[in-house]
Amino acid sequence: MENVIEIKNVTKRFKGFSVENINFHVKQGFVTGFIGANGAGKSTTIKMIMNLLKPDSGEVKVFGLDYKTHEKEIKERIGFVYDGNVFFEGLNLKDIKRIVAPAYKNWDDAIFHQYVDQFELPLNKAVKTFSKGMQMKASLAIALSHHAELIIMDEPTAGLDPIFRRELLDLLQELMIDGKRTIFFSTHITSDLDRIADYIAFIQSGELVFNQTIHDVVENYVIVKGGLDLLDRDTEKDFIHIHRASTGFEALTDNSGAVQATFGDNVIIERASLEDIMYYLKGGLSHV
Amino acid sequence: MFNLIRRDVILQKRQLLFFIPVILVFIIAGAPPILTFLVASIFIPFNTYAYDEKVETNILLNSLPYTRKEIIASRYLGAIVYMILAICVTSLALFVFDTPFTMTDIGISSGLFLLFSALTFPLFQILKPGYITTVVLISFILLTFLTRPVGLFVTEHLTGIIDLIINLSVAILYTGATLITMGIYLTSWGITTVIYQRKAF
Repeated sequence: MENVIEIKNVTKRFKGFSVENINFHVKQGFVTGFIGANGAGKSTTIKMIMNLLKPDSGEVKVFGLDYKTHEKEIKERIGFVYDGNVFFEGLNLKDIKRIVAPAYKNWDDAIFHQYVDQFELPLNKAVKTFSKGMQMKASLAIALSHHAELIIMDEPTAGLDPIFRRELLDLLQELMIDGKRTIFFSTHITSDLDRIADYIAFIQSGELVFNQTIHDVVENYVIVKGGLDLLDRDTEKDFIHIHRASTGFEALTDNSGAVQATFGDNVIIERASLEDIMYYLKGGLSHV
Repeated sequence: MFNLIRRDVILQKRQLLFFIPVILVFIIAGAPPILTFLVASIFIPFNTYAYDEKVETNILLNSLPYTRKEIIASRYLGAIVYMILAICVTSLALFVFDTPFTMTDIGISSGLFLLFSALTFPLFQILKPGYITTVVLISFILLTFLTRPVGLFVTEHLTGIIDLIINLSVAILYTGATLITMGIYLTSWGITTVIYQRKAF
C-alpha cells in the first residue's frame, strides 16, 4: 500500500464556505505538510480524514479502507493531535490514560511512560493547569503510545514557543526513522516544513493548489524580478501573480524552466519560500 | 464498549463523593422511596451528559477506535447498568436506615427513570451545548410537580381508562408497563443513534 490517505473528488459545503472537489493522497513513509491560510479548509479536510465530518460527495480512504465498513480498524492505526485540548480538562493525565488506553488494542504503557518522562509531564495534575506546550506534549504522548502507523496533527505547532517547536519537529523526525510511519500535519507556520516535510499539500479557499515533493516545489516555484518593459501578454503567461511597482515587477511562477527560457539573464530569479507562494497565491488562482 | 461505560466512573470520581450524602438526605428527609431511587438512578448517567455536551469530548470519542453506534449504545446500556448499581446502593441505605420499601417502588422508579432517559437522551443530541443541563433540570422539576395534578385529572375525568386498567390483572398490568417502557427506550435508542450518526464535530 503506497497511499495511506486517499481523497477522491471530495466536496463539503457549509454556509458561506466550502471545500470543493479535492483530490489528493498522502504517501506512506513520508511527512506531508498541509499548508494554507487560516480558514482555507485545512481543519475541514482533517476532520473528513478523521470521519468527524462526512463529505457531501466523494470518497475518503485511509489505509485503503473505507470508514463505512472499517471505522475501528482505521482508527486503531491513527494517532491524532488536535489544535486545542480535547481531553477532559478536569482530569489528570493518569485518568485520561485510563480512559484512552483501553480503547486501543495496541496500547503500550511502557512507551507512554517513556514519553511522560521525556516530556517531564506531571501525571497527577489536572490537564487544564497545563501550559499550551504541555498540553501539546500530553496529546502527543497519548498519540504515540499505541504504535500508530499514521499520525495526524491539526496545527500542532500553533501557539508553541520556538524552542518547543523545534523539539517537536526533532521528535517527529526521530519517529520517521523506521520508515513505516506516515505523518500528516497542517500548519500555517511554513518554516516548520522546510525542516521536516517531504511533501507539501497546499490548500487555498477550499481548493487544493498543489501536492508535490518539497524538492519539486523548490524547483518549480520561483520569484522573478525585472523591469516593467519585459512584461507583455506573451511573457506574462507563465506567471501566477505579478506585483507591479514603478521600479519594476516581482512575480511568482510555477514554471521556472519556461521563465528562464523566455527572459534569460534579463531578470533576477530567486528561490520562492513557501510563505512567498502562499502570499502571491492569495491574489487569486487565475493566471494574470 | 465496556470501557466507554467505565469511563463515567473515572470522570465522576469527585461527584460520586456526593452520591451517598445526597441519598442519605433524601432518606432522612423522609422522601418517598420511589423518589430516592429515581434521583439515585439519574445521578451518574445525567452527570455524564454534562461532559458529553462539550464538542471536545465528542471529537475525542470519535477519534478513538469507537463507532458512533457504540458511543450511543454505551449511553443507553450505561444508563441501565448505573441504574441497577444505584438501586442496589439505595436499597442498602434504605435498609440500614430502616425505611420500608417494596419491589413495586423499585419497579416504578426504574420505569420512570427509563422513560425520562428515553425522552431526554435524543434531546441532548438536538439541543445546543450549554442549554442541555438547564433544560433537563427544569423538565425534571416540572415533571415531578406535574405528576400529581395530571394524575388527579386522569382519575377524575378519564374514568374509562382507569376502569380498564383496574380490571386488568396485576400480571398483565406489569408486563404491559414493562413492555411499553422497553419499547419506548429502544425506540429512543434508535432515534438517538440516527441523529448522532449524522452529526458533524
